[in-house]
This record gives sequence, structure tokens and C-alpha cells, in this order.
Amino acid sequence: MGNVKLEHMTKRYDDVTAVDDMNLDIKDGEFVTFVGPSGCGKSTTMETIAGLTKPTEGTISISGRDVTNLPPKDRGISMVFQNIALFPHMDVFDNISFGLRLRKYDDEEIQRRVDRAADIVQLENMQDRMPEEMSGGQRQRVAIARAIVRNPDVFLMDEPLANLDAKLRVHMRTELQRLHKELDTTIIYVTHDQAEAMTMSDRIAVINAGKLQQIDPPLVCYNEPANLFVAGFIGSPSMNFIEGTITDNGFESEYVTVDFDPSTVGVTVGSSITLGIRPEDVYESSKAHTLADPTVAMPVTTDVLEPMGDEIFIYLLLSEAAETSMDTAQANDQLLMSTDPDSTLGEDEQLEVVLDRSKVHLFDTASGTAISHGIADPAVASESEAEPSTDD
Amino acid sequence: MSLEQTDGQKVYTNDDDSEEPEIDRGLFEAWAAKTIKNPKRTYKALFYTATIFFLVTTLFPFYWLFMVALTPRRNLQDVGLVPSGFDPSLLAQGDLTMGTNPGVFLEVFTIIPFHRYMFNSFVIATVTTIVVIIVASLAGYVFGRLRFPGKGPLMLLVLIVSFFPPAAFFIPLNDLFNTNIDILRPILADGSLYNTPYAMVVPFSAIFMPLSIFILTTFYSQIPDGLEDAARIEGTTRLGALFRVIMPLSAPGVATAGVLTFIAVYNEFFFSFLMTDGSADNWAPIVDGILQYQGQYEVLFNVMAAASIVGVLPVAILVVVAQEKIVSGLTAGALKE
Repeated sequence: MGNVKLEHMTKRYDDVTAVDDMNLDIKDGEFVTFVGPSGCGKSTTMETIAGLTKPTEGTISISGRDVTNLPPKDRGISMVFQNIALFPHMDVFDNISFGLRLRKYDDEEIQRRVDRAADIVQLENMQDRMPEEMSGGQRQRVAIARAIVRNPDVFLMDEPLANLDAKLRVHMRTELQRLHKELDTTIIYVTHDQAEAMTMSDRIAVINAGKLQQIDPPLVCYNEPANLFVAGFIGSPSMNFIEGTITDNGFESEYVTVDFDPSTVGVTVGSSITLGIRPEDVYESSKAHTLADPTVAMPVTTDVLEPMGDEIFIYLLLSEAAETSMDTAQANDQLLMSTDPDSTLGEDEQLEVVLDRSKVHLFDTASGTAISHGIADPAVASESEAEPSTDD
Repeated sequence: MSLEQTDGQKVYTNDDDSEEPEIDRGLFEAWAAKTIKNPKRTYKALFYTATIFFLVTTLFPFYWLFMVALTPRRNLQDVGLVPSGFDPSLLAQGDLTMGTNPGVFLEVFTIIPFHRYMFNSFVIATVTTIVVIIVASLAGYVFGRLRFPGKGPLMLLVLIVSFFPPAAFFIPLNDLFNTNIDILRPILADGSLYNTPYAMVVPFSAIFMPLSIFILTTFYSQIPDGLEDAARIEGTTRLGALFRVIMPLSAPGVATAGVLTFIAVYNEFFFSFLMTDGSADNWAPIVDGILQYQGQYEVLFNVMAAASIVGVLPVAILVVVAQEKIVSGLTAGALKE
């Protein structure tokens, strides 16, 4: 029960394809998060699962039942909306019991279930309040109670925390995780906040331009991104990308050289490759001895420092002429490094840095597909090669 | 002490007025000078003038009607601002009516079964309102919340219907309603709609529908999509969401459309007068009832006036009760939050 399956689901509007050939298999009890930039089709995907929009092509099944042509009420789902969508003309009890009353449950059963749902979301003694008399967090909890009271097979949550203030959002995030633990129901969660995605989900589905880029557990998406988009989207600040080519000795760009044996990762000499490295995998060369497998040191100049408290982000310039641009990730002659808060580095200092070889990602520049996560020292035997799971 | 104080105050006000005592002004000039110093006075004065003007023009006919009704029949040639024959001194002699004729309000019901005419009108107006609200709700939902090709032209077409004078429809409709239609025989004795409430409900529904569609479209389009989605997920159909969530939330709009339709039908003359033979048993509405007081040799103006007042009471009560909603409905429609 409670599994959701999308097969070749496509949603086209007059001039745009919102969702393109989406295939998903979500297991019972799983917490899956759809992330992606605005307009990527994650909400549309959610709406087709809910039945609020019909897919142009493909099928949707919930709990093993084909629901493609069923109205929302017959799909065994419930939904929490971004704008909360409580019925303003009903009090809390009526809001929560709306679905039960429509399904003609008897009064006792309704009262029992509403009490229990209100209990779970900690809304005791508020059942006769009107939505307008409640705070944002309370309203959101009423909306969640309304969703859980019917014991649906699947919960859909469309950015439910987006309209709450930062502190409440973090609190509700924990509440939702607790709720998932308690109910053990499938939850599909849409967000553009990757912190929510990383912390809450069993698996993250990264969507871009209507296409599924990767669906994997959060840390897999982080450590083994399937392509350039996932690599750049997951993680904050974003991964450093450096475009270059493959030579006999490994990767080479204008300012960065990483030596490895091209044959060990299955790339041909001369092909265009983008190298990706996360800020926390860039180290000062003085710390190179702590790494099992550092690259050769390269000289850099520090530019701007961003102390965050628990770490410091340092913008490094790889050449004399370089200037920090808005988008470090895309600039070939810059690197963003994350370092200990007790680092004594200042601005405009010369130093040498190394990269953690096991955390170096290689992507095919043209298609964006990941080729390798971690590269071996030419001397050492090759590491396991990640299986790219992309769709194009 | 208090006398002194009043004096002092008077002196003070005089002081205020005598800031420019040298110029000798007439009343109007003095007033003009004051308003120039204090323009708010002008606006206030204009406001009261306008308000009083509108109150007089709208309420005076009712007052006049009331006076006509109270005038004893023998004095009907001589109706004034008070009923002819009105004499307060009669009160001292124990005549509570003071020479007027309040009994006319009972005559209204004894001469003819006026209550039946009122009932007919009430039923026709209520049924029409219900039909209009239900159908216009469906249309308003479609026009206000769905996107489909040809929506604009279709809406225009609906509105064009309301531009025709009702008289344009009368002849064909009257002809149609006088035709005996066989399939209607099981419901209606002779199979024709003439002399039945349907002869009025059907055309009224059509004629007053566009306005209601227009009002409800505006209102329904402003209910957030999320609420409808939530209702559908919780277990309603689209129709269920319309009647359980969208309509209750548009209560001011629904009340406005409903009251306007009710009043329009209740007050309608043309079809009401011609679609029945004027007898109470044949569903003739109030207008027919009032005209029944007009005999061949005598016109009972006072009874007609009394009947008019009695007839207007239900609508007056309805408007007073629904007033708050109507006002918010008429104004809120234009605003978007």
C-alpha cells in the first residue's frame, strides 16, 4: 500500500512541456522530496499525482491502482498546500472533519479521529477557533491535521513551509519528520529549499526543466550527483566547476591540472570535461598530509573572505588577472574554498591549495553527465566507477 | 456663577466672530466668508443638501402613498400633505384614527384575496431567484474559474441577451405559452403555460440571469484556486466544491445577485400583467391584485395605495435584512485583495 508509480508521465500545455516523460517509483512509507528551481515542473508533477491536472501522456498508479483518470477524491491521497488553504468559513473542527463528513462517517468516529489528529499536531482545545484567529504555524498544523485525519495512502505536501518564518520553518521541519516517523505513510514533498530536502527525505528527486535528473538518497545526490545540474543545485554554496580537456596525463585547464590515468575513468583523450569540486574538498597545501590522496598543489591568491561562524568561505583566484565574479561556480579561474573558522588567512594572500582526489567529480561538458566521482592517483588502482543514472 | 460662565462663553464666541467686524456683511456673505476659512463646512453642507435631496425624492412617494391610503374614501379628491379630514383634536374625543382611515389596510384583504396575490408574487420571485442563483452559479463558475476557448465571446453573448427590451420577447413567448403542448399535459391541465407560474418564472429567469451571471463570475473568480483544490482533494467533486466552498465564501455576491433578482421579479409589471388572466387562482401576481381595485365606475385609490404599501413591505424587510451583505457585495466585487 501507499506506493506511487509514474510511468512516462508527460504534461504539455499549449506551448510548453511542463513535465517530460517522468518515471518514478516511490515505495510505501518513503519520504520523497521533489526539488528543483522555480518552474521546473515539480509542482505540476505533484498536481498530476493529486489529480488536479490530467497528464497529457503516461499513467499514474497509487497503491497498485491505475488512478490516471480518477478524480482527486478517489485516489486515497491528501494534500497540504503552500498557501495552507484552510476553508475560512469553517472552524478548526469543521476544517479537519471536512473530508470525513463528506464520506458520511458517523459523528462519534469523526470526533474520535479529529481528536486524534489534533493531538498529533498538538492543537488541543482549539477546535472551535476560526482560521483567521490563529497564527501561521497553527494554521499550518490544522492543514496537516486535515490531511492526516483521513488516513490516506499518500501525503502530498506542496511547499507547506514556504510561507512560514524561518524559525517556525525549522521547527515545523522537525515536526514533519516526527509525523512521518509516527504515521509511517508515504510522503511526497515539494520544495525549492534544499535544506528541507536534505534533512527530511529518504530520497530526493531532483527535477529540472520538466525532467527527472536524479532520484537518490540525499547523501548520494550530494556525493555522487548524476550530472552537472544536480551537482550545482545540491549543496550550498554550490560546487566549483572548471572546464577543461583530457590529456594523456589527466585533466587540464588553463589554471588547474589534475593528473590521473584517463583510461581508469573511461574518458578519451581530447574530450571536453568539466571538473567539479565542492568548497569543503579544497584544502590548503599545509593540510595536504591529512588527506589520503591529494592532488598536486596549485598557487592561488585569496580574494574575499566570508566568515560564517562555523566555517569561512574563501574566494581563491587562480590567475593574476582574475576578479571574483558573481558566479564562482562557472568561472574557470576561481575556486571557492571552505576552511576552519580558526584559519588565519587574510585577503590578498598567496598560498597553495590541493584538492581531495577522492572528491573530485568529472562531468562530460557537452551532455553534463557524470563520468566519475573521485579519481585515483595514477599510481594507485582505479576506484569504483559511479553508475551515471541520467535520462539523456 | 453659571450665568457668568455662559456670559463669558458668549463673549468668547463673539470675539471669534468679530475678528473682522469692520465689514458689514449679509447672512450669505458671512456664511461664504466662513466657508472659505473652513472648507470642511462647505463639504458638510453639500453632503447634507445632497442627502436630504435624495431622501426626500425617494421617501416622499412613500409618504404620499401612505397619506393617500389613510384618506377616507369620500375625501379622495382632496389629498394633501396630511390626509384630508385629519384632525388631531378628534383624539380628545376618543377617536384614535383622528379622522383618517387606517382600516383601509384591512379592506385591502377583504375586497379581494390580496394575500393570495402576494403569495403568488412571493412564490414566483422565490422560485425564479432559486433557479437564477443555481444556474448562474454554474455559469459563473465556468466563466470565472475555467479557461476555455471562446469564453469572451460567449460571455458577451450572455450579456447581449440582457440588452434586449423584455417587450421584444413578449409576443412570441405569449404565443408559445398559449399553445397547447401535448407533452406538458401530464403536468398542466391543458398543456399550456398561460395562467401558470411557469409562464412568469421561465422568462424572468432568462431575463434576469445575465446580471446574476455577471455578478457571480466576478465573485467566483476571486476565490483562490487552492481552496477549490483543497476541497476536491478532501473529497468533493468540482460541483461539490462550488456549493460547499466557493459559494459560501462568495456569500455577499450570492446575496446581491439573489436580492436583486428577487426585487426585480417581485416588481416586474409587463410579463406579470400579461401572462395570466389576472385572477388570484391563476397565479396572478401583486400587480394584478392592485389593479383589481379599479372598478368600472370607481377607482379605489386609497385601497390601491394601501395595497402598494403592503406589497412593498416584504421587499423592504428583505433589503434591510440583507443590506449589509448587499453593500459589501456591490462594492467588494470591484476590489481584489
